[in-house]
Amino acid sequence: MKRAALWLTVLFAAGTAAAQGFLDCHFAPGWEQSGAKRQYDAGNLFDLKDGSAEGYLIFGFIRMSTIDCKSGANTLTIDVSEMTGVDAAYGIFAANLDPTQPTTEIGMGGQVQAQSTIFAKGKYYVEIVEVAADSSTDDSLMLRALASAVEMRLEGSVTPPAQLHWFPPGNVAPVRMVPESVLGLRELSRGYVTNYAKGQAFIVLEDTPDDAALVLKALRAHFPGAIQAQVGDEAFQANAQYLDGLCIFRKGRVLAGYANLPNPQQAAAQAAALAARIP
Amino acid sequence: MPSKTSRRSFLSASISAGLLAPLAGASPAIGALSPTEDAAPTGSAVKLSYKTLGRTGLKVTTVGFGCMITSDPSVIERAADLGINYFDTARSYQHGNNERMVGAALGARRKQVVLSTKTHAPDKAGMMQHLDESLKELNTDYIDIWYLHGRSGPAEIPDEHIEAQQLAKQQGKVRFIGVSTHGGQPQLIPWMIQKRVFDVVLPAYNFSMDAAMNEAIDAAAKAGLGVVAMKVMAGGFRSHRPGDPLADKLAQPGALLAALKWVVKNPNVATTIPSMTGMDQLDENLKAMDHTYSPADAQILAAHLEQIRPLYCRMCGQCDGACSHGLPVADALRCLTYADGYGQFALGRERYLELASAHTARCADCASCTVHCPHGVHVARRMARAQELFA
Repeated sequence: MKRAALWLTVLFAAGTAAAQGFLDCHFAPGWEQSGAKRQYDAGNLFDLKDGSAEGYLIFGFIRMSTIDCKSGANTLTIDVSEMTGVDAAYGIFAANLDPTQPTTEIGMGGQVQAQSTIFAKGKYYVEIVEVAADSSTDDSLMLRALASAVEMRLEGSVTPPAQLHWFPPGNVAPVRMVPESVLGLRELSRGYVTNYAKGQAFIVLEDTPDDAALVLKALRAHFPGAIQAQVGDEAFQANAQYLDGLCIFRKGRVLAGYANLPNPQQAAAQAAALAARIP
Repeated sequence: MPSKTSRRSFLSASISAGLLAPLAGASPAIGALSPTEDAAPTGSAVKLSYKTLGRTGLKVTTVGFGCMITSDPSVIERAADLGINYFDTARSYQHGNNERMVGAALGARRKQVVLSTKTHAPDKAGMMQHLDESLKELNTDYIDIWYLHGRSGPAEIPDEHIEAQQLAKQQGKVRFIGVSTHGGQPQLIPWMIQKRVFDVVLPAYNFSMDAAMNEAIDAAAKAGLGVVAMKVMAGGFRSHRPGDPLADKLAQPGALLAALKWVVKNPNVATTIPSMTGMDQLDENLKAMDHTYSPADAQILAAHLEQIRPLYCRMCGQCDGACSHGLPVADALRCLTYADGYGQFALGRERYLELASAHTARCADCASCTVHCPHGVHVARRMARAQELFA
């Protein structure tokens, strides 16, 4: 009995080590591991990300593997978060993306800065943060190479969620995944949002067309004075205090629309263009 | 309608991606907040309640707004329009994107509210750099309260951190300084009181905590520290997965509001910063200022405490019986409480390993446990978890 338990422990440890093969300080020449590799789940992520853990949990977080590296007086941490799926990984990546900086092709998308890099691949979200003794140090080339080495060892798709391509071109900010209350509306529980020079567009997927129809009906109840619009399978348009001119439509199991346009008519026109792009 | 202007401001802020931020709303004047007690903004149907935030003298609504996980600025705009006047963010939230969103959402309302942010920078230079970035992203020329982010004890607050906070005060970039803390409060708060340099403390505080936390908060308030409570809905709710009985219990209608009201009723807590992502949550939380904590609320929370009772050792030292293998059960369960109850995994593990070095027995090897808890803690199961978690 005891021997079996011991073997199970050994096997578990071996499995964990294999799963953490993507964590290696030597991916970056001159860097050495500092301390042991660690793993956190939703129950103790607060211990590592004190004050920021909810920002991970809300997207759908399973576990984080982390390693600290050292090179002289500089330190570096690699955090690899396993999320509940591709949309969750993309979601937390997009939330942390600096819209003022260019993106890089790593995994589904990445961003490399002077002392940090983030990217998402499949269900994984990766953050590499350096704390350099000289805060003006630009280690972006090293971080880019390190991120690529980690990315190669992570399984998963490099294709972002399909919904990102449904938005009409011309958005002025990256598409974000909102994990809860899209447009601040509880009924729109999880979806994608992007901003345009005028207004913002959103896309939410429900399980079935019937589910989507029920949500649309509930949404309409929020907006007194809403009138029917001719977009998708069914739609309404309205004026709202904080969402201005808006139009929300259903096409199959997709709920989508525009908000924050000067009037509902313009929102409906934009929504029609969005509907045409949804398969 | 002011909301339209600010909403568009957010969109244009997204376009310019912060480049124009320093140009807007630049005024060196630090706004004075002087709402009267229990006064509601004109035209609002919401009854607001206010308390004074310790020695800062700021009058803050007893329900504030924790912006960390908010995605849509319309929720923040509406909260400000309804009269909520305390908004909290941090430099680290979404790598600064949260500050940018909060700044754009508040827009022209900025001077009517108390705005707090936090820095986790490791040194003075980094902190000052963070502060300038925060000012830029929040589109303001002063921060009302600038916190050291997530400190668990005095050792995590070297003198240079306090020097940076005081320098920022002297420069007029911040009005008041504080510390946010998720664990170790019973040690950290007395130290803050003794130090006499801080204006505000932002601890995790909720109904599931033990009496030591109440005492720490009472002492802070008596010493003039403003107390802003976070994790008021017992923090780790989101860590419970669907099907988890605790998650199901907390999904009960009214459970979260009851938890918020429990904190608001404490006279030593000036304001609270529940996270809000949608208009419905905002409307629900506003009720905590208008509806008093009732026996029904107490019942809901008691039911929740009953749910977690088998999990949490109260460290009362009244264990019935002793371990036949000599394991220090009470001490081991205390370590588990550090980890599971207060989020102090490292501390729990460190203490546990100190204990465990002299003991090799595994609870899983025993058919039954000889130690029983008078309060209903499942000793054998919890000991097994401690061994699994720490060993």
